[in-house]
Amino acid sequence: MIARFTPAFVIVLALLFVAPAARADGHLDASVTFINSLSDRAITTLTDSEITADERRSQFRNLFREGFAVDGIARFALGRYWRNASKQEREEYLVLFEDVIVTTWADRFSLYSGQSFEVRGATNEPSNGPEKVALVSSQFFTSPTSPVQIEWRVASQGDVIKIVDVKVEGISMANTQRDEFNSVIRNNGRKLSSLLERLRKMRDS
Amino acid sequence: MLKTLTDLKPSRFLFAALLMGALTACATPPSDDKEALAEFEKANDPFEPANRLIFSANVAVDQLVLQPTAVTYRDLFPDELKPPVENFITNLFMPLSFLHSLLQGDMERANLAATRFFTALPTFLLGNTMPDKEPVFEDAGQTLAVWGFEPGPYVMLPLIGPSSVRGTLGTIGDFFFDPVGWVTDTPVTIGRAAGNAVVVRSNNVNQVRDLQRNSLDYYAAVRSLYRQQREAQVRNGGSTPVQPAPTLGLDLEEKSDTKETASGK
Repeated sequence: MIARFTPAFVIVLALLFVAPAARADGHLDASVTFINSLSDRAITTLTDSEITADERRSQFRNLFREGFAVDGIARFALGRYWRNASKQEREEYLVLFEDVIVTTWADRFSLYSGQSFEVRGATNEPSNGPEKVALVSSQFFTSPTSPVQIEWRVASQGDVIKIVDVKVEGISMANTQRDEFNSVIRNNGRKLSSLLERLRKMRDS
Repeated sequence: MLKTLTDLKPSRFLFAALLMGALTACATPPSDDKEALAEFEKANDPFEPANRLIFSANVAVDQLVLQPTAVTYRDLFPDELKPPVENFITNLFMPLSFLHSLLQGDMERANLAATRFFTALPTFLLGNTMPDKEPVFEDAGQTLAVWGFEPGPYVMLPLIGPSSVRGTLGTIGDFFFDPVGWVTDTPVTIGRAAGNAVVVRSNNVNQVRDLQRNSLDYYAAVRSLYRQQREAQVRNGGSTPVQPAPTLGLDLEEKSDTKETASGK
């Protein structure tokens, strides 16, 4: 009896111990797959030399919304000023933030000329919320000998999986953006309106 | 050593004068608001008005001298001669990297620096322009960081560029500490620094132009990039420290509301 049950018991035991570990790492694999598919699509759709700048921007906007936690990043970039912003200011800021990122980044893709991109793997990152966070590391070969290290901070919660930060050679884009925005506000009488004004100007230029 | 000190006199005088100027042009910390004070301390840039002034002078020098030189080098210098020139300049930094790796107790990187220096030398003479060993870059600022010194306030150095109090001390220290400086004259180390500046700048002409055009506050963007890059150099690409990061923001309204009530209590 014991002998007959033992294999099954062992399997159940193994599942008990292995399953949580496998599930915990599931988001790592999912994050790698996510970055791979997103970068493939970005390269095929955005680097097409046949499309106009406007088309490229609108396609970038779709990918950006789909792949990035745009609102979360925007709120982070505003730092402490988000809390005291009025509802109207927040709404305008979120729209401006997305518009400015889209105009600046979409045009950068037009410079792409076939450099290879390679995802290396993912590690767990501490998270300060309910979401699971993975750091997906990748290399972008601007030259064959010295690739640029790019790390993608990917957060997943339930069915939602999105990029929350990108680090280029250890430099966090979200933190750079936040330092810059905070400096603009601080040097202009600590008024959020001064930042909105500059963002508006940048979008319309 | 004494000779170098006397040679330095006019520039030391200039440095002292600039430092005095910087100290008198300090930003006043905000006293009315606790959060604003915390922010002022986090920016860690009490010399901001003076730093901004020096920064705009540096940008002008860059636009007038460095960038045109770098673009000329990039576009007109024969491509096949670039690797030997660049490797030669890089190699001149290896003795300093070796010493600092030892001081940091990092034998692996000390070995890398020495290997790179000695293997690149003969292959360079034989015409192999691509040494298979990666260079390592270590300096006194990084050594001080490993020893536990904090970077201190942000400092914008004339011509040299972004730094910190720790970085400035390191730069001065390395001027005397560099083995290449012991065996050669000051013009060699200055030539190396200038050559390196041109090479580095020639590789990021487009990136700098992009950053200048697309940043709302170029000075603040450079400050942030410098700090993060320096931190990454000290870590030598190792595990990243816990850094604030955005969240998914799914609960955009609710979370900010709870935060508001929490801070309102």
